[in-house]
Amino acid sequence: MSEILNKTEEIVKKAKTLGADEVIAKTTFGKYRQTRFSNNQIDITVAWNDYLTDIALSWKKRVVATQIRDFQNVDGQLKQLFEIAKVSKENPMFGGFAKGKFKYAQSSADKKVVELEDPSEYILEAIEAAKKEAGQDINSGGILFTKFEDVYLASSEGPIGVDSRSAIEISIRAFSQREASGHSVECSSTLNGFNPSRAGLEAGEIAKLARNPKAGDEGVYSVILNPLFAGSMLGMWTSMVSAFNVMIQLSIFVDKLGQKVSREFVTMKDNPASYSVSNRVFDDEGVPTRENVFIDRGILKTYLHNTSTAKIFKAETTGNAGLVVPNPWNVEMGLGNMGKDEMFRETRNGLYLTNTWYTRFQNYKNGDFSTIPRDGLFLIENGEIKRSLKDVRLSDNALNMLGNIAGISKERKHVHWWGEADPPSLAPYILIENVHITKSK
Amino acid sequence: MEKDIVDYTLEYARGKDVEYAEVRAQSQKLEQLMLKNGILEAFLSSVNTGFCVRILANGGIGFASTNKWTKDEAKGVVDLAYRFAKAAKRKDKIKFAEEKAVETTWKVEQKKKIEDVDSETKIKQFLEVDKALTSQTVNVPARVIQAIMQLTEKYFVNTEGSRISSFVPKIAAFGFITVVEQGKSEQAFKQFGYSGGWEAFDEWQMTENLIHDVNVLKEVITKAKAVKPGTMDLVCGPEVTGIAAHESCGHPMEADRILGREMSQAGRSFIYEGSSFWIGTRIGTDVVTIVDDPAIEHSYGYYKYDDEGIKARRRYLYKNGFINEFLHNRETAAKLGIRSNASSRSANYDREAIVRMANTFVLPGNMTKEEIIEDVKNGVYMVSFTEWNIDDKRFNQRYVGREAYLIENGELKHPVARPIIETTTLKFWSAVDAVSKTVEFDAATCGKGDPMQGMPVYTGGPAIRLRGVYVK
Repeated sequence: MSEILNKTEEIVKKAKTLGADEVIAKTTFGKYRQTRFSNNQIDITVAWNDYLTDIALSWKKRVVATQIRDFQNVDGQLKQLFEIAKVSKENPMFGGFAKGKFKYAQSSADKKVVELEDPSEYILEAIEAAKKEAGQDINSGGILFTKFEDVYLASSEGPIGVDSRSAIEISIRAFSQREASGHSVECSSTLNGFNPSRAGLEAGEIAKLARNPKAGDEGVYSVILNPLFAGSMLGMWTSMVSAFNVMIQLSIFVDKLGQKVSREFVTMKDNPASYSVSNRVFDDEGVPTRENVFIDRGILKTYLHNTSTAKIFKAETTGNAGLVVPNPWNVEMGLGNMGKDEMFRETRNGLYLTNTWYTRFQNYKNGDFSTIPRDGLFLIENGEIKRSLKDVRLSDNALNMLGNIAGISKERKHVHWWGEADPPSLAPYILIENVHITKSK
Repeated sequence: MEKDIVDYTLEYARGKDVEYAEVRAQSQKLEQLMLKNGILEAFLSSVNTGFCVRILANGGIGFASTNKWTKDEAKGVVDLAYRFAKAAKRKDKIKFAEEKAVETTWKVEQKKKIEDVDSETKIKQFLEVDKALTSQTVNVPARVIQAIMQLTEKYFVNTEGSRISSFVPKIAAFGFITVVEQGKSEQAFKQFGYSGGWEAFDEWQMTENLIHDVNVLKEVITKAKAVKPGTMDLVCGPEVTGIAAHESCGHPMEADRILGREMSQAGRSFIYEGSSFWIGTRIGTDVVTIVDDPAIEHSYGYYKYDDEGIKARRRYLYKNGFINEFLHNRETAAKLGIRSNASSRSANYDREAIVRMANTFVLPGNMTKEEIIEDVKNGVYMVSFTEWNIDDKRFNQRYVGREAYLIENGELKHPVARPIIETTTLKFWSAVDAVSKTVEFDAATCGKGDPMQGMPVYTGGPAIRLRGVYVK
């Protein structure tokens, strides 16, 4: 382990010798495994091993980056990078990399996740749970993904650290009929507590309830989002809190710092905690990661920063540096005070939406967008689920929806799915009022 | 790229009890730059190289990849892929469609080699694009320009005797602009892509295209009026025709979706055996023929052989209004008892090749765009789109116009603010009554797969006219 860190530090020293002002090198030895299944059978198991060093350096405020595989041709690649730096252009917005020595939390990564002898057992467990819930005819597909990364970071500005990051995720979509399906996920950073049956069971439950759907109607509804759908919305809002996205107006939060953006019971934070599938103890500048409350009781408190964007906004880095721009790691929505059942009971004319995909914007700055609910979606009348629906679209505004949150459940679930519920989140059931639903004509 | 390691890997795999094995190696030189409001945010330069092995054994598939070029590592990935294949324990054994072995070398020519243009010139030319945007009498407070240049060398071998070497240079650029006027904002995203050399930069006319968009956005803010919702005619420009062809023809015709292999992520298709839609079913009018063609030279989605070593050819997806031919790889083709039509593509050496589009477009008709508009009493001409999406069975879709104009009595009138068509695949293609004779293409990155594999494609077509559709 120390040998890899030494090699990573050596890269930083060589770049400094060549004349770099500031350098960061991050070596990742990653082992990733994914099993894909459909029609209740395994289609393929994929493994990819990555031996990669990301290098970012500045020279006279010119920022250049490269990737070196397996420490091959380090000298040649650094020299070439320097040649590029010399003909590159100054970035006056570059505020340097983070400075100082830091202490990091101990990683609690679990190596057992990539040493699974037969990961297909977990898949069969989830498929069986879906069948048990919704019948033997149910047709399931999905993925089981495991990750184990050893990460070594060295910076000319002081930070130096080692981290290990592990994750295991299952995503299962179960069809009880051609147009009746349920989707659920189970995500964990360790094998301990990972329960694929729970995902299969929930997918089966929703699929069973979704049978015989009828086309939904256009209108304005109160909607209850289950945690998987809520995870998509949390990902959407949180990506817009990245200071970089604010600067390029890919955000509804431009010029909204300190302003009320939601109701007083709404709090959101970014927190790559040890339970999360995106757990990490430092960011890509070597700054210790931490909890960052960005919406505090309805008020937008901060953007997410690296060192450069923090200087531009006269703030401090929040430990969200990626190689070039700041990113959210893992979103947590603060606990609400409603029980899930209470949320349904209090809904007179509403929809229960369990998943969504294909979220696209007309204008990121003003927030007009639409997204397509998929899997189980249900009409709620007078506190009860009345029927299964299909073929509708949620066509609304991201800022209005944030402002119209009317209830948050006491229950939360750690969710992550594909590019749709990403980054990972700790998501509750969310009740949102006055949501516009449209359909094909 | 160390071809001897690739050959060694295949021989080692051949020693196992495999029904089929292939090794696909890739070395990609990559340069990427990002300008934010005229400032070079960062310049990335790297070489991405590695190889994968895919094994079919006992009716199951295993896949493993690495970027460490040693024989020990090669043995390790073969052992892993073999173990995965055997562990699948499928009831329905996977088979690959029969194909002939191919030994060949192919490449895409560059008029002006990307590697001969120095980094300083590349940066300068994109900076000039940004500068031109700020020289307009329009307030463009946020501008992002990204460029990606890739030189990709591949080497593919399999146990059937195929041995294919290729070299494909590609260049892509993206512009994202925000215009603010009168306290209101509008945004546009534009993508450019080309297989070939630096000559792409001139052919794209990136500056002119983005300046056009900047002025369009200003007009949308200052002059556009909302459309009165109702049934009317809709003329789609090539950009809108192209996205509709991609989303509601190309995707639902992917055989892996139809057979359920993408059921949990990208989804399934409204087309499936036993449904109202199958090969031979009418899906549009006689004038609707949509093809997918990887063999268009220098197109963004160009390839001569796919990632299973099958020679590329044009596929007629919807033909004269009828569902005609699905997109296949060897696995899906075997399931339907036919041959692959070379639709297997992978985004990188560490990703499984899956069924993908290449360049999907509507074939031209015999009218001019002017003739198409002349015959519209009340309608909208949607030149380009902003928000769009479609459900995962690829039936319910929506396109929101970015540049659009009212048509009254055959004449273009004032700009229309974000008109929307929200309709089904069947209604969309069944409403087409006229197709213009000039095809135009747009570059796009198609998303599919888990992990996500962004794939370079063209979307395109002529202008088309839809009669009596609901626009709001």
